[in-house]
Amino acid sequence: MPEIRPMYKGDIHHIIRIIDAYDDDDAEAAEEDYEASGLEDQFVLEVNDKVIGVTGFRRVEATDKTAWLSWTYVDKAHAGQGYGKAMLGQLLDKLKEEQAGKIFVKVSNYEDPEDGKIYERAHKMYQSLGFELELTNKDFYDEGEDQLIYGKVLTQSTEEELEVLEEKPVIRFNGMYEIAESEGAYTFSWIVEEKKAFFGKRSFSVDDLRIGLQAVKNDGGRKVFLTFPSNLPLIHQPLQAVGFKYIGNLTDYYEKGVHEMHFSHSLDTIE
Amino acid sequence: MFPIRDDNPQLNKPYATYGLIAANALAWFLLQGFGFGEQLQASVCQYGLIPSDLFSNELLDARPAGACPPGGAGWLGVLTSMFMHGGWMHILGNMWFLWVFGDNVEDAMGSLRFLCFYILTGLCAVAAQVIADPGSSIPMVGASGAIGGVMGAYIMLYPRVKVHMAVILIIIFTTFRVPAVAMLGYWIVLQLLGAFSSIGSSGGGVAFWAHVGGFVGGAGLVWLFKDDELLLNHPYHGWQQQKRAADVWNDPSNRE
Repeated sequence: MPEIRPMYKGDIHHIIRIIDAYDDDDAEAAEEDYEASGLEDQFVLEVNDKVIGVTGFRRVEATDKTAWLSWTYVDKAHAGQGYGKAMLGQLLDKLKEEQAGKIFVKVSNYEDPEDGKIYERAHKMYQSLGFELELTNKDFYDEGEDQLIYGKVLTQSTEEELEVLEEKPVIRFNGMYEIAESEGAYTFSWIVEEKKAFFGKRSFSVDDLRIGLQAVKNDGGRKVFLTFPSNLPLIHQPLQAVGFKYIGNLTDYYEKGVHEMHFSHSLDTIE
Repeated sequence: MFPIRDDNPQLNKPYATYGLIAANALAWFLLQGFGFGEQLQASVCQYGLIPSDLFSNELLDARPAGACPPGGAGWLGVLTSMFMHGGWMHILGNMWFLWVFGDNVEDAMGSLRFLCFYILTGLCAVAAQVIADPGSSIPMVGASGAIGGVMGAYIMLYPRVKVHMAVILIIIFTTFRVPAVAMLGYWIVLQLLGAFSSIGSSGGGVAFWAHVGGFVGGAGLVWLFKDDELLLNHPYHGWQQQKRAADVWNDPSNRE
């Protein structure tokens, strides 16, 4: 089985064609990502001097322990011949060498009217490699098209189980945008602000959330997805009060014991 | 026996508490001459609150023979009396209580709101004392009414927090811990006993009704002023063992 090699600029055009054969939204998003975030940790698989597969990972900014799997595709002519699994196996070995603790991957459950469940094979492959389903973001990409997030533990943490310290930073929203590859799914970007001494320490409020939800509704949005680390006790009351629902956790996403919590709001209570 | 500190974490710097202590100290140094000599007596008359001055018409009523010459602060005394004191022990005791309890109450509302809350409970204290003895010509001074309000708020917000009490018995110095509700409850019972026993007496002394009025005002107003989000910073607020904030999502109706 051939070895994966780092991706170069010259590969991009061909790679985008491979992805586009499955999903044009994915191809577009991948191209943007390669341009914006560079080719570090991105790999291709060559068979007879021809690139037939692409994979890679992106490290989670806030931690050096976890990563997201990048676009992973094998061209249609070579699909189903074990190349995908071999390519991923090599990538996971690389991550293990780098002491990464966990890797996550997002997969759609899209059912094409003609081609059927085009990601079914991918789901099976991830499962066979030991990935476990951690949560499902319903109607994420579009109405009826969910995002399934799988996680795989690469190296068991040797850290002792410490009590996770809760943090109370001042969190403010500073933007709203439609999530790439989705139709009408929005999220808010947030920042940690300096605390305002005279008014006490205050994170975003119920009103801030309502303004954001209203803006999404006015923009034609369908659903809002938010994620936060699990050690921020001040976020829960306003999120719950405005009608956000808890979807689930990506376990140990930030560090051992600090998960990524996922929330969604379907805008049904917004006028 | 007096409180020395509490087991209550402080998150924000209590600027308003610092400011109020500084204001009281400044008034003591600048307006009251460190409590020495005639300046003390003069300042108490000038800036203290004389209940009988509020509702009397100086031209028509014969002013009862009081301790002060005419020309006091009048209605302004409602505010200025809160920053005046009658002696070193009076100001030190008051500021000590404000130092111990004010910071956590401020932490539950933010500095500006706390400042408004403090002034309002001071007004409650004055109102209670004036209602109890409207004809009194004895000037009333002291921050204790407003600080009584802070204590009223504290008992509502943090009844189970442990307060360290110091006991000095001649040469023995020891400390023990009691829940705030016991320490502050004991304090308000003493004030009530003092208040009821002062009915009918026309002499000076402790303005017990002001303490009671401030305390009750604080215990009531705190529900208006407290900020539940800021209170989340305090692991020990309320009567119940605090649940983790994230536990709200255990409710199936809050899950997708």
